[in-house]
Amino acid sequence: MNIPTTPTPIIVARNVDKRFGSFYALRNVSASFTEGQVTAIIGPSGSGKSTFLRTLNRLEKHDGGDIVIDGIELNDDLKHLDAIRREVGMVFQSFNLFSHLTILRNITLAPMRVRKMSRAEAEAKAMGLLERVGLKNQAHKYPVQLSGGQQQRVAIARALAMDPKVLLFDEPTSALDPEMVNEVLTVMRELAHTGITMLVVTHEMGFAREVADRVIFFDEGAILEDTTPQAFFTNPDHERAQAFLAQVRHGF
Amino acid sequence: MNWTKRYPGWTMFGAMVGLLIFLWGLAVPLSSAPAPIGPAAQQFADGARITVWLTLIAGSVGVVLGVLAGMGKLSKFPPLRWACDFYVWLIRGTPLLLQILFVWLVVPSVMPASVNLSDFACAAIALSLNIGAYNTECVRAGILAVPHGQIEAARALGLSPFQTFMDVILPQSMRVALPALANNLASLVKDSSLAYAISVVELTMVGYRVQAESYQPIPVFVTIATIYLILTTAFTTLTSALEAKLEVGQKR
Repeated sequence: MNIPTTPTPIIVARNVDKRFGSFYALRNVSASFTEGQVTAIIGPSGSGKSTFLRTLNRLEKHDGGDIVIDGIELNDDLKHLDAIRREVGMVFQSFNLFSHLTILRNITLAPMRVRKMSRAEAEAKAMGLLERVGLKNQAHKYPVQLSGGQQQRVAIARALAMDPKVLLFDEPTSALDPEMVNEVLTVMRELAHTGITMLVVTHEMGFAREVADRVIFFDEGAILEDTTPQAFFTNPDHERAQAFLAQVRHGF
Repeated sequence: MNWTKRYPGWTMFGAMVGLLIFLWGLAVPLSSAPAPIGPAAQQFADGARITVWLTLIAGSVGVVLGVLAGMGKLSKFPPLRWACDFYVWLIRGTPLLLQILFVWLVVPSVMPASVNLSDFACAAIALSLNIGAYNTECVRAGILAVPHGQIEAARALGLSPFQTFMDVILPQSMRVALPALANNLASLVKDSSLAYAISVVELTMVGYRVQAESYQPIPVFVTIATIYLILTTAFTTLTSALEAKLEVGQKR
C-alpha cells in the first residue's frame, strides 16, 4: 500500500545516543533517509558524523534510541544484524581491502560466503563491476600493487558485489593523494544516478553541492542543519555552519 | 635463499621429497662407512625416521593447539581465556623432560586398561602439548597484528565472525606468526631427543647405544650431529618457502 508520492524511508534513526566513556559522540540524533537519496554528511572533525555512519551497520553499537533499516530493527539480535549487513555496504577511508587476496578474490569473497554464489558466477559479476570502475585489467593483482585511488574504486566494487540497497561512504577520499580524488568521485557520481541510497561522510564540498540531494551538518554530536545543498551552501542557518563553510572555502 | 623466495611451491615440494629420500636412503651411504658407523647404519636410519615422525606429528598437532589456544586467549569468554592462560603457564613453567615423564608414567594409570599407549605415543603427546603452548603465544601475536580495519571490512560485508576468522584473520595472522612458529619447529627437531628418557629409540638414543658398544664417541656423535643438521635444514627450508608463499601481497 505504498503511496507513490511519499517515498518509503529505508533508514530511520530515532533519538540515537552514543557515548565513549563520559564523552557523548552522538546526542539524540534523529534522521530518516528515503530510498535512492544521496546525502552528504559534513561537519568538523570529531563532530560525530563518522560515528553516526558507523552506528548504521553496528560497527559502533548505539547506546540509546533506535535504528530501523529496511524494516529491520538494529539490535543485539545477530540474525537482524546479518540481514542488515547484507543490505548495507560500506566504503572506508583507508580502503581496507583484504591484503592477502587478489583484487578479484576481494570482490568474490562475500558473495560466495554470504550469498552462497558459485565461484564462476561471483567472478563473472566481479569482472563486470571491475569494468564499471575501470579496473578490469587489475583483477589478478594484489591491493598493495594498486594506487590509493584504484584501491578505493576496488573497495566500491567490493561493496557493490553484495547488491546493497544502501552504501555508506566514510570519508572515501580523505586518505587519497589529491590527483586521485577525482577518479573516485567520478565513480561515486555515476553511482548516485543509479538509484542506490548513498550516505557520504565527506570533506569534498564540490561533490556535496553538485551530487547530493541533501546535506546534513553535524556539530558536537548533533545534527545542526538538515537541508538541501542549495540552501546549505548559500545560506546556512547556524553560526557554526557558517564558520565551518568559511573555513573550508578558504583557499578557493 | 633467493631461490626459495622465487619458487616457494617447488622449494617446499623439493624439501619434502629430499627429506623422504634422505630418510629411506640413509642406510645405504652409511653402511659403507668404516667400523663404528657402517655396521649400525640401519639403526641410524631407523632412529632418524623416529625423530622425523615425532617432529612431524608434534609439529602439526602443535600448530592446531597453538591456533586454538591462541584464539582462546583472545576470547571474550573469561573461563576459556583462563583455561588457555593456565595451559601456557603450566607448560612454559615446567621442564619438557618432566612433561614427557609425566605423560609416560601418569597418563596410562588414569586411562582405562583397554587403552594401550606406546612409548612413542606418550612422547608425541608430551611434545605436542609442549610446542602447542609456545605456538600459542606466536599465534596470539599474529592475530593481534591483523589491522582492525580488515575485520571491520569483513564484518561490514556480512561475513560471520567465524568466516571472518577463517578467511581474513587466520591467513593474515599466519604471515606474522610463521617465522616464530618455524623457530619452534626447529627447536622441536632437537627437543624430540628427550624422548630417549622413556626409551623411544630416536636418533640420540641410537647414538648413545652405538657409542656405548663401540667405545668410539667421536665418529658416532659427529654422524648424529650431521643427521640433525640435515634434518633441521630441510625443515627450515620448508618453512621459509612457506613464508615466501604467504608473503604474497605484502610487498610491491
